[in-house]
Amino acid sequence: MTDTNGFRAYEKDEPIVQVRNLSKSFGSLRVLKDMTCDILAGHTTVFLGPSGTGKSVFIKHIVGLLKPDAGELMVMGRNVPTLKEGELYQLRKHLGLAFQLGALFDSLNVFDNVSFPLVHHTNMRRKNVEARVAEVLELVGLPGTEHKLTTELSTGEQKRVGLARALSMNPPIVLFDEPTTGLDPILCTTIDELILKLKTELGRTFIVISHDIEGTWKMADYVGVLYQGKLLKYGKNEDVRHGDDIFLKQFFGRTENGPMIGV
Amino acid sequence: MLRVVEAMGRGVGGMLSEVGAIGLFVIKTISVALTTLPNLRRFADECYSIGIQSLFVVCSVGAFIGMSTALVGFATLQDLGAQNLVGIFIGIATVRELGPAVAAFMVAAKAGSGMAAHIATMRVKEQIDAMEVQAVNPFWYLIVPRFLAIMVVLPILVIWNDFFMLGTGYLIAVLQLKVNRGAVMQNLLDTISTDDFTKGMIKGWVLAVFIVSICTYKGYTCEPGALGVGKATNQAVVYCIAILIIINFFLSEWLYGGIGLRGM
Repeated sequence: MTDTNGFRAYEKDEPIVQVRNLSKSFGSLRVLKDMTCDILAGHTTVFLGPSGTGKSVFIKHIVGLLKPDAGELMVMGRNVPTLKEGELYQLRKHLGLAFQLGALFDSLNVFDNVSFPLVHHTNMRRKNVEARVAEVLELVGLPGTEHKLTTELSTGEQKRVGLARALSMNPPIVLFDEPTTGLDPILCTTIDELILKLKTELGRTFIVISHDIEGTWKMADYVGVLYQGKLLKYGKNEDVRHGDDIFLKQFFGRTENGPMIGV
Repeated sequence: MLRVVEAMGRGVGGMLSEVGAIGLFVIKTISVALTTLPNLRRFADECYSIGIQSLFVVCSVGAFIGMSTALVGFATLQDLGAQNLVGIFIGIATVRELGPAVAAFMVAAKAGSGMAAHIATMRVKEQIDAMEVQAVNPFWYLIVPRFLAIMVVLPILVIWNDFFMLGTGYLIAVLQLKVNRGAVMQNLLDTISTDDFTKGMIKGWVLAVFIVSICTYKGYTCEPGALGVGKATNQAVVYCIAILIIINFFLSEWLYGGIGLRGM
């Protein structure tokens, strides 16, 4: 069964994102090197790694904000780098991205931010839009904040409103760019639990970029570890967690002693 | 010497590539404007932001320039014993040259810098990326409404500014310089035609295109960080003012080319 733009629903465990030999450089700096993996539908996949190892660059490739130098990136059956502008916009209607710092439009209030994609891509009546906004704000634990200005919100609240916006169109793939960076431990736990709750309630595909190891073990079904642009390890949570790779042991053990160098 | 030539070459090369980039930016804006229905709400917001919010500053500056024009004209004509003709000076200087130029400069300074800073901040705070990811074309949402709004609003501000300048120039000539009010009014009416106002609006329209192209381009292509926003805004205003002066000269040459003065 496909929608009007030819996008079909993906069954659990089907590869919804396929990455093949993805490479990207900025000048002489190689940020992604021959990255290959399949991201499975209905699961939470977390990409971990030290700062500056290409995690955010990878997520920007998935949503088509960056074009790779080489390689293929299939998202819901579309090869993202080859899509024309109009086709890319069609694909993006099926993706939700919660930005690292929220990226909320500060000239709009919370309601206008969260309803932004609904207003532009659906013919929903105002009442239904209001109901949907209230629903997703409730889901992220911020009910009744519709009329607040985004500048009145704390960092954690901004992130959650960003997440509500990403969820408002009910997309099959939701991406999080470092959802807990810069938050205090309590808020980190709140966000981790929120992602877990959403996974349980919505059954969507979640792709998370993070360097929060504890949070990763809690929420991830699959884990990928990036280091210096290379996907060092990719597999099920337990396999990666208990792997004996010297890089992974250093990273998970949070120690300076080892082959990994902080960036 | 060789280094100086090299540096100049690099400077010219950089400038030409930037002109090319602005050209492509404008072409993309036009293509989006022609292929999608405009966002009327955003257009109305921008008309308000550019028009109403620039009105006070345009008129205030215009009022003082109108008064200065009367004083300078009177002093110049007094030497020739023709101070009663100050109305001619005021009419020609304001409607043909100063009205459109001052309105454009003030809109560039007020609305243009605001556009550049707003878009640049959105770029730096990933809000433009967020818009793209939500499948809303930033050209459609951010750039096209500003293009359309300024092209509608600036010619109107030019006319408004013309009347302010004429009014204040007239008042100074009559009340302070004690020139016969009938003579000033008659000279103004004889000198200015509706054609002059139309040409002023054409000037405003063309200058609007340059203001919005430069300011939105500079904001959209802003470099990262607060420094990037500052640089984008600063460059937008400096480039705008410099280019407006040059373009205004060519517009005056095209629209009047000395014929208007000979016809006096």
